[in-house]
Amino acid sequence: MTLVAENTQAMTAPKDSDVVLSVQGASKKFCRDFKSALFYGMQDISSEVLGLRGDKNDKLRKKEFWALQSVSFELRRGEALGLVGKNGSGKSTLLRVIAGLIKPDVGSVMVKGRVAPLIALGAGFNPVLTGRENIYANMSILGLTKEEIDDRFDDVVAFAEIPDAIDSPVRSYSSGMQARLGFACAIHTDPDVLLIDEVLAVGDSRFRGKCFQKLHQLRESKTAFILVSHSSHTILTVCDSSVYLLKGISKGYGRTPEIINQYEKDLFTEDTNISNGFIELDPNRKSTSNGLDIESIFFRDHQGKIVNTPKTGKEITLCIKCKSERTFPKLGVTVVVKKLADGGETILSMNCMQDGKLLSINSGRYEFQTRIEKLGLLVGTYLMDIYIKDDGLYYLDSFETFRFTVESDIFSNESLYFQPRDWAVEPIE
Amino acid sequence: MVSPSSQSPEPQNRLRVPKRPSQPVAIQIYRPASEMRRPMQLFRRMGADLLASRELAWQLMKRDISAQYRESFLGVAWAVIPPIVASAGFAFAASAKVINVGTTDIPYPAYVLMSTALWQTFSEAVMLPMQKVGAARMMLAKIQFPREALILAAAGQVLFNFAIKLLLVAGMFLWFRLAVPPSIVLAPVALLHLVLLGTVLGMFLAPLSALYQDFQKGMQLLLGTWLFLTPVVYPPPSGEGLFGLLVRFNPVTPLLVTTRELITTGTISDPQGFWLVSAIVFTGLPVAWVVYRLAMPYAIERFSS
Repeated sequence: MTLVAENTQAMTAPKDSDVVLSVQGASKKFCRDFKSALFYGMQDISSEVLGLRGDKNDKLRKKEFWALQSVSFELRRGEALGLVGKNGSGKSTLLRVIAGLIKPDVGSVMVKGRVAPLIALGAGFNPVLTGRENIYANMSILGLTKEEIDDRFDDVVAFAEIPDAIDSPVRSYSSGMQARLGFACAIHTDPDVLLIDEVLAVGDSRFRGKCFQKLHQLRESKTAFILVSHSSHTILTVCDSSVYLLKGISKGYGRTPEIINQYEKDLFTEDTNISNGFIELDPNRKSTSNGLDIESIFFRDHQGKIVNTPKTGKEITLCIKCKSERTFPKLGVTVVVKKLADGGETILSMNCMQDGKLLSINSGRYEFQTRIEKLGLLVGTYLMDIYIKDDGLYYLDSFETFRFTVESDIFSNESLYFQPRDWAVEPIE
Repeated sequence: MVSPSSQSPEPQNRLRVPKRPSQPVAIQIYRPASEMRRPMQLFRRMGADLLASRELAWQLMKRDISAQYRESFLGVAWAVIPPIVASAGFAFAASAKVINVGTTDIPYPAYVLMSTALWQTFSEAVMLPMQKVGAARMMLAKIQFPREALILAAAGQVLFNFAIKLLLVAGMFLWFRLAVPPSIVLAPVALLHLVLLGTVLGMFLAPLSALYQDFQKGMQLLLGTWLFLTPVVYPPPSGEGLFGLLVRFNPVTPLLVTTRELITTGTISDPQGFWLVSAIVFTGLPVAWVVYRLAMPYAIERFSS
């Protein structure tokens, strides 16, 4: 028995000295029922204090479920790992176990060096105190000494772009400023492993760009990352390898593109028929309908023929087939286009209400058409989000991350978009 | 013409490449089994975390003390107002013969003022760890930092608040022209034991109160009653009745009375009681610390999900 125990222990120690994080079969159970959760909490505390708790706690008590089950992976210096999965798939739980905030119920986690969470945007900020006081408090919570903070103080303030507000109470900051300050504090702690949980969604696109730049730098100086997101954009741009979690179970661990493909297949194929540039949605995909449902999204060329790949500079019509159950006199359609693997910045946003056009329909089936005379998008793969609202406010239906590819016969090097144009020369009299 | 490249200014928001200190990296392994099964490792970590938390505790204490007094007009005066109000009330009631207290060693208003200050220090020591843990829930659920820092910061804040009350006590001594016995130099030791007793209780209850609010509410209620079982507004009873017995077996009594006696008369009435309770405090301290430390991840697990 002792021998076996020693062997498993040797297994948890990594052979590779570059490994900074090693998760071996980590499992964690949770309980959603509030009363039982508190009771189990007391039970766990007692068995921990009395030393009764062993290394295998794999029996579920009443009303418990596995929030995380046998997850294993390794992370090396300078590597970035993506964690994808729907809400409630155990991503945050896994991060908490890695950070050492909660204990695994089965399995083990080995961490080398300092783990810093970027989940904690401004956690520990006291609104009454000034930015300066909060930087000192927040960064010492993150594990820095006073000298280290003194050393980085100017960088943090410059990064957060709040030099004038540094001696005003944090309460007077805008939410963007607070988020920037929190991010600046966390990112300047020089950790060995950085845990990033959906935080890159804060701030304006320019600040986001700066954050990505900083992350890139940290990575070059051998910081390892774990990036959590349920959007594939960010993961695809940053991470070499990824873990896909579904209901706490690790469904895949490997190179990012393959894992993302698997994730998206699971996300859509259960209820949709997806292919690049065409999507047909299951009418029963939603539990409740608001009176209008998107049935399919696709493109038609100038002859009205359905095509999968629009072409730069050519006429194209975006078609959204819908089924309506009543009359909507003032429908608004919004189309937002982002480029895949580009940090998730919007590059095109179209809204029919802003164009002064309200669409009016009765009950029945309709095809919304957005005719684009000359497509300005260049070659590449894009993601499109579509929202349909009534009277500009009342949400009816939407579809996010419709993926399509644009092809081109036009030479467009060094351009960000295609500008339709004509050239001419005329004699002057 | 100056070519633009020749004097390109240093970019304003230059991103600094972090300096990576070449200190040995610590390896942490998180396992499901109870940490009690590896006691040596547990004690080593407790020691290391205590050392590591000094600076954080100092920062947290500074933050909390300045936040505590910043948003109020009366500011630091709030540390001395409660004992003044309490002693004025009791002195008035005693002089009007509404309540009948025995004779005290020093003038009654001074006696109440002094004792209330001590009692409030004890009750703060009980409540602050729970309040700190409650207020730090967000932080606890997201950042791994030595949990000892919260307790140290709480104890530091209790002592700071007492230091302010001390000014009041000094003023009272001057007002009543009371002589200070040489034994006053020993008073900080007794006071420390009193604060530790409160901290042991608070530390023990802190993770539990993060789970069940009942602990904090119940403790608040209990402290209200406990005050009257402690010789704060009356001198220690000599009677043997149930009340006298309760007062005698109240662990706060010997610590509070001894601290007061060291400051006022210099003669200690119950040295055995003092040392007995102190022994209990010093055995309870490591136990409460271990419980606090081990229980914290489980409390976090429940309030963060």
